[in-house]
Amino acid sequence: KPHSRPRHTDTRTMLPLLLLLLPAAHGIARLRYTPVLTEEPPLGGQKTASTFVLDQPRCVFKDYGNADIWLVVALDGSRWSSAGQGASRGPCTPHQIPPHPHPLPAAESTFDNTARPGSNETAFQSFPDPVHAYMTLNATLVNYPCPKPAGDITVLRVGSETSCAEDETRPTCNGPLPGPGPYRVKFLALEGSVPVAETLWSMPIMLTEAKSPNTISTTGSGHSAGMIAITTILSILFAILLAGLVAMLVFWSSDSCSGSSTFSKPESVTVRRYNTHHVYDQPASRL
Amino acid sequence: MAKNDDCVHILQGLLVFGNVVIGMCGIALTAECIYVVSNPHDLYPLLKATENSDIYASAWIGIFVGLALFALSILGIIGVIKASRTLLLVYIILMLITSAFEMASCITAATHQDSLTPELFLKQMLERYQKSEPANNSDNEVTKTWDELMLQNHCCGVLGPSDWQKYKSAFRRTHSDADYPWPRMCCVLDAQGLPINLDGCKLGVPGYYNSNGCYDAISGPVNTHAWGVAWFGFAILCWTFCVLLGTMFYWSRIEY
Repeated sequence: KPHSRPRHTDTRTMLPLLLLLLPAAHGIARLRYTPVLTEEPPLGGQKTASTFVLDQPRCVFKDYGNADIWLVVALDGSRWSSAGQGASRGPCTPHQIPPHPHPLPAAESTFDNTARPGSNETAFQSFPDPVHAYMTLNATLVNYPCPKPAGDITVLRVGSETSCAEDETRPTCNGPLPGPGPYRVKFLALEGSVPVAETLWSMPIMLTEAKSPNTISTTGSGHSAGMIAITTILSILFAILLAGLVAMLVFWSSDSCSGSSTFSKPESVTVRRYNTHHVYDQPASRL
Repeated sequence: MAKNDDCVHILQGLLVFGNVVIGMCGIALTAECIYVVSNPHDLYPLLKATENSDIYASAWIGIFVGLALFALSILGIIGVIKASRTLLLVYIILMLITSAFEMASCITAATHQDSLTPELFLKQMLERYQKSEPANNSDNEVTKTWDELMLQNHCCGVLGPSDWQKYKSAFRRTHSDADYPWPRMCCVLDAQGLPINLDGCKLGVPGYYNSNGCYDAISGPVNTHAWGVAWFGFAILCWTFCVLLGTMFYWSRIEY
């Protein structure tokens, strides 16, 4: 018997065992389908800060033509189930989960399949505190025809109804999710108020968290190669020119100081080099 | 000697040719900078909002440098033909001063262009786009410019629509995430300006929203102006360097 001689001080090892027996006792069919985020086609808004997009459960509830198919969305306190119990964990790692004032148990252990949609215990407006899981997106098999026509985009956007988010008279509102999660979802088929089938819980879904724009650093992008090239080359050229100018001025002042080395200015278009060795050649060179 | 005179003539010819080219380039630089200053492109409000309009300072300097180059090139031609030391000395000194200004203009234009990173525009867009209480008129201008930009270039955000998801923004404060994962301008719009499929846009279905970022559309025109001022000025300066070296060499050979 599960209650005899507990081997671990943590009583949660016995709860899953106990709860496994419960669905069997109630006769709920456990369908081997896991709700997944839509991957095909790739959507830009698959996960936003308050919504996410699931694939519709086509060809899953084939035998339950009379049932209402509800989506159960639960806030998952994976922190509890991450103590090495082997609970399935999605891409969320424990340290990403924001601290909650009251540690939440894992979704699968808190949700009672006999909960009725539209009641206070499953109202969206009271989610996530004190309601840990709400029910929404009511549909029947007619809405999910099988097989799915090729080329159709069959998705469910969780969180798209903003008009009823605060409206207490609409407890099954598909309102925007209040935080980044992580969330786990499953589909539940109810005939009347009797649960007849359910899918598996999905992997934990973590929504995007927006950062403040102050974290964007606009400084220190470095200088491009072009700018460095321009600056270096121009500086070198300018330095050479300045050196040339200085040399010219020195040359000029030394030229004017030693007056004997200059000739009188000849006709304007000829330039001659003063050279004593060729003095006797001057008449011949004058053209 | 004949050979010496020929060398002198060749040198003079080269210097005159060099000065003619400088004169023409000066006119071209003036014309280009007048165009840049008087014809700010549609993205000017974005640049103004970054409070970094060095490109226009560079262009203004370019106008005056161009005119100075033209005037000095005429002085240089006269000086070379007359072989006058004083004229050429004045020419060289004034050319150096003008080149110094042109250098400053080039380097400023090149540095300014480097500062226009995607992060700069991203931060500005997040802080100012659709700001509910615009502090001054420039916020309205930023919003209008972004709407025009996204409409005409079929783009969204700076790097993509995910900019609106990854960061908080002034837009997010007034528009809920569930109804507006990104602004309506990011949706593919029909002739009346309404999204062709609003749900498709909100979901992010390819074909109903613009999934690429606008940074390429921004950096294109802005870079053209900066490169025009910076690299053309650099080319002129290189040519001027050669002509000035030649003039200095010629000056040193002139007799007094």
